[in-house]
Amino acid sequence: MDTGDSSYSYSLTTFSRSGKLLQIEYALMAVSEGKTSLGIKARNGVVLCTDKKLGSKLVDRDNVRKLESITPSCGVVYAGVGPDYRVLVKKARKQAQTYKLTYGEHKPIRGLVQDAAAVMQEYTQSGGVRPFGVSLLVAGFDDDGPQLYQVDPSGAYYGWKASAIGKNFKNARSFLEKRYSDEVELDDAIHTALLTMREGFEGEMNEHNIELGVVGEDRTFKILTPAEIKDYLDEAN
Amino acid sequence: MRLESILDLGKKKVAAATDELGFALAGVKDPAAYSAANFSASYGATQDVKFAKGTTTLAFKFDGGVIVSVDSRSTMGNYIASQTVKKVIEINPFLLGTMAGGAADCSFWERNLGTQCRMYELRNKKRVSVAAASKMLANTMYRYRGRGLSMGTMICGWDASGPKLYYVDDDGTRLEGDVFCVGSGSTYAYGVIDSHLRRDLTVDEAVDLGRRAIAGAAHRDAMSGGWNNLYHVTEDGWRFLGQSGR
Amino acid sequence: MSILEHNGAAIIAMAGKNCVAIGADTRFGLRMQTVATDFEKVFKMSNNVFVGLAGLATDVQTLRNLLKFRLSLYALREERDMKPEAFAALLSHLLYEKRFGPYFIEPLVAGLKDGDQPFLCGMDLIGAPVYTNDFVVSGTCTPNMNGMCESLWRPDMTPDDLFEAVSQCLLASVDRDAMSGWGAVVHVITPDGVTSKRLKGRMD
Repeated sequence: MDTGDSSYSYSLTTFSRSGKLLQIEYALMAVSEGKTSLGIKARNGVVLCTDKKLGSKLVDRDNVRKLESITPSCGVVYAGVGPDYRVLVKKARKQAQTYKLTYGEHKPIRGLVQDAAAVMQEYTQSGGVRPFGVSLLVAGFDDDGPQLYQVDPSGAYYGWKASAIGKNFKNARSFLEKRYSDEVELDDAIHTALLTMREGFEGEMNEHNIELGVVGEDRTFKILTPAEIKDYLDEAN
Repeated sequence: MRLESILDLGKKKVAAATDELGFALAGVKDPAAYSAANFSASYGATQDVKFAKGTTTLAFKFDGGVIVSVDSRSTMGNYIASQTVKKVIEINPFLLGTMAGGAADCSFWERNLGTQCRMYELRNKKRVSVAAASKMLANTMYRYRGRGLSMGTMICGWDASGPKLYYVDDDGTRLEGDVFCVGSGSTYAYGVIDSHLRRDLTVDEAVDLGRRAIAGAAHRDAMSGGWNNLYHVTEDGWRFLGQSGR
Repeated sequence: MSILEHNGAAIIAMAGKNCVAIGADTRFGLRMQTVATDFEKVFKMSNNVFVGLAGLATDVQTLRNLLKFRLSLYALREERDMKPEAFAALLSHLLYEKRFGPYFIEPLVAGLKDGDQPFLCGMDLIGAPVYTNDFVVSGTCTPNMNGMCESLWRPDMTPDDLFEAVSQCLLASVDRDAMSGWGAVVHVITPDGVTSKRLKGRMD
């Protein structure tokens, strides 16, 4: 990729003598410093959940959104650097619309993940740029059924049954490992997601300081309103 | 204005609007150019009115007389208007004319030639020579030169001087020859005829050659096809040999 | 005369019950001159999608190659066959990409959708799609073909009846068109597979 700044535009991400790409490791550290996000794939859908604690009381919560949809049947959330995330969402949405224009149908989840991962990889090898400081959790439902993917700053991506990223992700993952079952229904998965999120939550968790998104067999990714989240929280208590 | 002068004017208009054979002419400054541009049988890309045309016809002389062989397809643009057109016009028992170009132009003017030939016979008490008949048709064509007539014909017959074959077309050309092929498929027909024609062919061989030339042209030329009509001209006049199908 | 009529073609796609058929003549000509009588105009794009390309022969081959390329790429990326609906959308998109210098092709798409339902689609040379449930035609004798199809098409034909209908429509239509004919091919697509047959026709 040519940034246009200079004809001598070398990649900033180069191997260290021990064979590591330090810029990517730093990016992963930025991710693990970010607010926790997690996702669970159920038998009949996928749930995404993220910590939306804010730095100050004065920030207007209604104008902060971490969950975004890419196609009607696909949603995404992140941990790490917010502005970097928005660049990826914008690119993913554009690629999804190009696909829709070409084939007249929605882009499959795996295609969205592959292309997002390709962009992230490109930023580890191109001149004049740095890697994205985010990991993504991508949830969707298409002809291949419910799917949950994680994409890391290196461009690596994996399919998951349940995963967590960001602060406290190791504890969250071991919590999920204990709780997970292949036969879990979406409603139970939402329940598990909330319990997992609460496990490492600093302070009291309520409908205003988390976000919840679900996609079920209707293949529509829905970002829940605080009122809807409250219903699930009440059930969980 | 006096009544007579009005009537005179009317007469003049009528007189000016038809030619000597009674054809109504278009009321434009140059009727010939108008006709050539809009009602030419050799319609080009710009002309809207399309007449029936498209053909392969051939005739050749050999020791046994003249063989006349034609296809039967008529096209209007790409549309095949008919597969059963009679493209050999029987002018009289000793004269045949072939039809290529505008179907209407050929049939009208060869029928007209028949009339002229009969008038010649009645006036001179003898059969018209092929040379004279073809010359009459060529003269007619010359008179209408530039008006968009389309006709490529072979006048075939047997007269006092033996078997005769003439080519006459719409710009007044008149040629005597041993072999002619006329129409969109003519080049393919020439290819077959030129490869195999000899003066000493038997009648059966000559008929077969005429048939094969039309079959070859019908295969390669999109505008030719249908049936093959065959005629043989001898000193006893012409004889229809029938239709060979596909 | 239109460049679309330079080489000549006659293609019909028709729907039956849980089956579709697509047939085309085999002439390749240069205006009035017939050059070859074994020219392919219908191509198998996948097990359940066929495309018929009527128009300028060079563009027929170029577009066929381009479609196969895009289809292979799609199959590798997505590990699945393209559905007929998506294929028609792709073709329409490719044609409109050349809006100001088009491929001189008026294509037909015939295939079986999910649930073995027939899919038929025709397009103009810049990709405006027309979806039909009964039949679509393209080529140098569309009036002839539409007339024949209007007469012979019936709802819910069996694969055998459909083959017969398409064949008769094609042969009768090209007999009144100077630019097409000289033999034909007909493919019948069913959930169990494709049967392809060559038809003998008039050679003039």
